[in-house]
Amino acid sequence: MTGERNAAVEFGQRVDAPYWTGLAEGELRIQRCTSCRKWTWPADWRCPGCGSYDLGWEAVEAVGTVFSRIRTHYPFVPAYADLVPYDNVLVELPQAGGARLIGLLTGGGARIGDRVRGTFVAASERTAGLPVLTWTKES
Amino acid sequence: MGKRPTGVAVAGIGITPYHKRGASPDAERKLLLKAIDAAAADAGIPASEIDGFCSYGADVQEGTRLAGPLGTRELRWSSLVWGGGGGGSAGAIAMAEAAILSGHAETVVVYRATAESSSGRLLRAVSQGVFGPHYAAHGVDSPAQALGLRTQRLIEHDGIPPSALRAIAQACYHHAGKNPDAVGHGVDLTDEKYESSRWIVEPLRLFDSSRENDAAAAIILTSAERARDLTDKPVYLLASAIGADGPKWGELDENHEPYTSSSQVSAGRRVWERSGATPADVDAVQLYVNFTGPAVSALIDLGFCTAENAGEFLTFENLIAPDGKLPICTGGGDLAEGFLHGMGNAVEAVRLLRGESSNPVPGARLCLVSGGPISELSSAALFATTDGR
Repeated sequence: MTGERNAAVEFGQRVDAPYWTGLAEGELRIQRCTSCRKWTWPADWRCPGCGSYDLGWEAVEAVGTVFSRIRTHYPFVPAYADLVPYDNVLVELPQAGGARLIGLLTGGGARIGDRVRGTFVAASERTAGLPVLTWTKES
Repeated sequence: MGKRPTGVAVAGIGITPYHKRGASPDAERKLLLKAIDAAAADAGIPASEIDGFCSYGADVQEGTRLAGPLGTRELRWSSLVWGGGGGGSAGAIAMAEAAILSGHAETVVVYRATAESSSGRLLRAVSQGVFGPHYAAHGVDSPAQALGLRTQRLIEHDGIPPSALRAIAQACYHHAGKNPDAVGHGVDLTDEKYESSRWIVEPLRLFDSSRENDAAAAIILTSAERARDLTDKPVYLLASAIGADGPKWGELDENHEPYTSSSQVSAGRRVWERSGATPADVDAVQLYVNFTGPAVSALIDLGFCTAENAGEFLTFENLIAPDGKLPICTGGGDLAEGFLHGMGNAVEAVRLLRGESSNPVPGARLCLVSGGPISELSSAALFATTDGR
């Protein structure tokens, strides 16, 4: 697999490179149109709201609500095989126009609508060499 | 060029046996050539007469790779429906329809072949790289996981009862039980067997999941007029459509809206508009069942039920031939007949309307084929025993 979708190809050229740089620096950054102020996620080159190419990045708090969730039993991803069964959540960020992020849930127990908080985790072999947010249900 | 045709019909079908994944004795392209030959023989034409080629998804068997061995006299159309997954499985039929009605081509083959020895594991081949770093970094890298997320919200938020998913699986295995060629033939999927089957990705169990098979299928379409000359059992294509409905759809890393839509509202609406038929007129649906949850979403979006009455409507009794209100997957479908990225569903639609299905629906006149649900785009095609125009 080659091209824009591939994490290994010219990663710094990806349209969402500032997101990953932000995570490495302990900050959650989401793309936002500088012209019409619409949150644009997933990041892309053109604002679907106003057509502007002038897009910026804003830091938001790493909290959100569970939009959906799964528990993976089959070891689809070799780097995660030793963790099965493990939980993933799709987290909605109301403070960023409802942008959604996939992440690992630690501690379990979260249902749709529950509030979760993100923890910044450094890049590792498991995470395909990328810094990530993992999520935990807020008590 | 003569008068443009006003209708399109299937003149021939060809399909190889469903082999266990990796078990095909033939390479992928050889399997495919055999399926095309079988379809041409069924249509009563030399394979060299095929002048158009249409496929979808991750297919690497381009028309230009088939024209040589088929001895194609004149290549007039070769196209692929973009988008990962099987969303374009009925969309390839729509491309053939467009090519024939516009006069670009006369004899178009729609096809799909998968063989692990040639294309690798299906979950890689069909996902076509759409699971980028926003998925993979978190241990999510397969259709089962992405569609598990959709299914969980369908159940937990939209209120679809899990019994609807089970009914779909049981109807498919019931039909496979009467189809000796089905991979799932002989599996008696009782409630207990279903409920005790292992989780793949909660909320999806083993029996909610389609298979991986090596196989190839081909369907030859031509003008309705010519199909009538070629065969005494033409199956008419009343309408087909490709599409995606917003406000947010496409390749969006789970930021789609509405999130639990099957992406078939657009294609479904246009199939009903173009054909003048309604869901109530349909005698059976060859439903694309990648996983049971998205299939429920498809039935809602295509207008067969609502999120509110899905639990009541989607029962085993309603979904089986010959007497159910809406028999689905009459050959066993993607779950239980065998998985060919959805292409087997169009073949079964033709069989059903010719009266050749292993689970006949007496008097069936209209059969809908749905493309892969919850893909970046989806599609639908409506077939009939008579030319509705």
